[in-house]
Amino acid sequence: MPVEVGIGTSTEREPLHAVKEAVEQARKTIGGNINLAIVFSSIDLSYQGLPLAISNILGPVAIVGCSSLAVISGQGIFKHGLAIMLLGFSDGDYAKTACVKDVRQKGSLAAGEELAEQLLAQLSGAPRNLSLIFSDGLIESGSELITGLQEKLGSSFPLVGASASDNLSFKNTYLYFQRDMYSDAVCGIIWGQKLTFGLGVHHGWEPLGKPRYITKSHGNIVTEIDGQPAVKIYEDYFAKKSAKLKKELKRISILYPIGIYLPGEEEYLLRNIFAIEDDGSIIFQGNVSEGSQIRLMIGTKESCLEATQRALDEAKKQIMGHRPRFALVFDSASRFMLLGRRAVRELEIIKAGLNQDTPIIGLYTYGEQAPLRALNYLGKTYFHNQTITILVIGD
Amino acid sequence: MPTIEVLINFFFPISLIGFLCLSLQLVIKMEKVKNLQSVADGLRKSLDEMDEQAKLIVRTDLELNKTQEELDKKVVGLYALQRLSRAMSMTLEENQIFKIINVNDLEDLGFEKSCGFLWSEKEKKPTLILSLGYSGKERREIESLVEQDMRFYLDFIQNGKTLSSSSIPKSSQIINEKIINTFKATFFVISAVLPKEGDRGFLFVGTQNSDTLITEGDEELITILANQLGQALENTRLFEQTWRSHQDLERKVEERTRQLSQALDEVKTISQRKTDFVSAVSHELRTPLTSIKGYASILLAGKLGDIPKEVQERLEKINRHSDELTNLVNELLDIARIESGKMTMKQQSCNLKDIAEKVLDLLAVQIKEKRLETSLEISDRASEAYADPSQIERVIINLIGNAIKFTPPKGKISIISHKEDKQVRVDITDTGCGMPEGVQEKIFHEFYRVDNPINEEVRGTGLGLSLVKHIIGAHKGKIWVESKIGAGSTFSFTLPTGA
Repeated sequence: MPVEVGIGTSTEREPLHAVKEAVEQARKTIGGNINLAIVFSSIDLSYQGLPLAISNILGPVAIVGCSSLAVISGQGIFKHGLAIMLLGFSDGDYAKTACVKDVRQKGSLAAGEELAEQLLAQLSGAPRNLSLIFSDGLIESGSELITGLQEKLGSSFPLVGASASDNLSFKNTYLYFQRDMYSDAVCGIIWGQKLTFGLGVHHGWEPLGKPRYITKSHGNIVTEIDGQPAVKIYEDYFAKKSAKLKKELKRISILYPIGIYLPGEEEYLLRNIFAIEDDGSIIFQGNVSEGSQIRLMIGTKESCLEATQRALDEAKKQIMGHRPRFALVFDSASRFMLLGRRAVRELEIIKAGLNQDTPIIGLYTYGEQAPLRALNYLGKTYFHNQTITILVIGD
Repeated sequence: MPTIEVLINFFFPISLIGFLCLSLQLVIKMEKVKNLQSVADGLRKSLDEMDEQAKLIVRTDLELNKTQEELDKKVVGLYALQRLSRAMSMTLEENQIFKIINVNDLEDLGFEKSCGFLWSEKEKKPTLILSLGYSGKERREIESLVEQDMRFYLDFIQNGKTLSSSSIPKSSQIINEKIINTFKATFFVISAVLPKEGDRGFLFVGTQNSDTLITEGDEELITILANQLGQALENTRLFEQTWRSHQDLERKVEERTRQLSQALDEVKTISQRKTDFVSAVSHELRTPLTSIKGYASILLAGKLGDIPKEVQERLEKINRHSDELTNLVNELLDIARIESGKMTMKQQSCNLKDIAEKVLDLLAVQIKEKRLETSLEISDRASEAYADPSQIERVIINLIGNAIKFTPPKGKISIISHKEDKQVRVDITDTGCGMPEGVQEKIFHEFYRVDNPINEEVRGTGLGLSLVKHIIGAHKGKIWVESKIGAGSTFSFTLPTGA
């Protein structure tokens, strides 16, 4: 068995109690050595002492993780809680970790490159086959980060990532790396040897209305659509003035993102609105390049859940008969809001598709990174909004 | 030039045809373009129409989603309310009522901060009894701010209303700001908690989440919660009152029982001392009495020489009084013995009819003297008793003796017995002078004598009925009297049958 897995959760409100409970639980289900701990916590448990407490209990084990709107685990979805997955590798398998701080100051592109370099340096030339990335969810240029990583790792290297989230107040999100907690940082895990994995990524939103073209944009700031101020598309569709749109921005942004048409790809790439500027330009959570054809997108709870099923099916298909050993779920915070009380249904779908005892851990993100067409190994990794990314690791 | 002419003649028609053909083609193409143009126009129009429809769909969808969200929120809130109500109805301690609300419930109600205050009438100050989502420092600040604004909050409680950040009119923004500053939450609902009795207060819930829109539904929900808190407080207070008075009662009963048993112990001690005293004194009296009676008998018998008649009369008096005194002493001793448990009843099966007949024989002289009529109605069924025959004989002698004493000549005395369950009852009825109500219990007391002419004339020891009661009591029987002035008396006693 190449990977040993243990999982533990806690809904204790006191961070140290939560750590104790979750780690003890996780340790009960893992035999042998522990090499890596993946940790997700709700924002109320995020504090400097959290990774330190985990490290104190586990000893010299690599710790990587981040804060989230709610934590996902096979045991349930917890708005206040902690989930820890412990992984132990046998000979030949390994995972290396690295972290880059001060992303804003360095620039996302440079930070991405630096992270990739650090990860590669640790591998020292050994074969690599998957990388997991966690980043501060409030870094605006998430797309650049991927570009930076791809510059060094190769544009077809499978890169799966999640942007940390908070309780939708968009104030602070945190990353856990080894014994510390950081904001404005990005950290990653690189997997080596013969890791069998399957990846599915879908959102379930459908295009609506006529296609439009981005006539002026820079990075993630779109100034004009069809030669008019970008905000006009939303003003027209919702018959609301800019000021009113701003008031309902969170809801509108989540329910009706724009979809970027990518020739040759199966699905539209979604972009949530991050802010509407006074001059009528729109800041999106991710880059939108000039000349792109876009549509307004619409989704329902049902289409969301269908996408979950599709993502899971694709991920399972790719492990080609191997038994699922564990699964990671990077689910958009927007979907959590849209699904409301039916968020649990999404977890049920995932659990039903895996073995009853397959350990599951996940988080709600402010952005996901994954190859768009996951059916193809070599699909290019994009920065997404609104998707569910399911990564299944096989025996 | 013929050749040119020929050429012209030859080519012109061809060019003309060509030109005509081209023109025709152009016309056809233009027609096609026109057609395409109109198709494109049609398509553009449908696309625009479709886009307009899309707008309608999007707007409707947004409204639907909002309604759905509101509905979801309400359902979750109602579930929380139901959970809280159930928990409240099961809580019996007043200071636990507010604490039932926990962070999870609060979150389900759509809030992250909450405060509960009760106004102590006694101390004339507010007490913070619930605080969720605040640090210790914030709590202290809130407490002091609420105390400062006591007037405002008291009026608010008095009005018994619910306020929210959405319902406070623009003209009263100062109130809005005051509440926001005090409780550190921009969106809030505050509602009075009004139990019918005792300290009243209010419940505050709030959030800083800018997505929150406080609706009438939220106000209703929190008002219901506050009302339920009031109701629960009332219930616990009532329960506490009942419980306290129950406790009080139990304590009082315990206290009285203790006092009574103490008093009883004292009475027992005193009674024991009395018995000991009487017993001691009686023994001491008996010896000289025997000597007195002995010497009087010797003198009376003339063994020491003749005595004059006057002396003889006096000596006879001495003899008689000595006998009375001996009787008295004996009866006192018997009572003392029974009381101290030294005298045991030699209980056996005995025939009451035989005993009564024997007694009537013994007293036949006195009965005859007063020409009294006697009747004895003791059937075989009601004649058996489990008792000490000699002691029962004393009882019957005493009772019939009394009847003879208090019944005028030609009166009637009847002795009747009845069988009752596991005991036998004997009634001794006379047609004597009777006695007033209120003395019927006292006549069984030692040395008690009913105030009447007969008693003044005929002296007795005053111990007879007391001894009788002691004897019956020692048999675990009862004795009582029913009597009226001038209507005679019936003395009844019961004895076990031993069956």
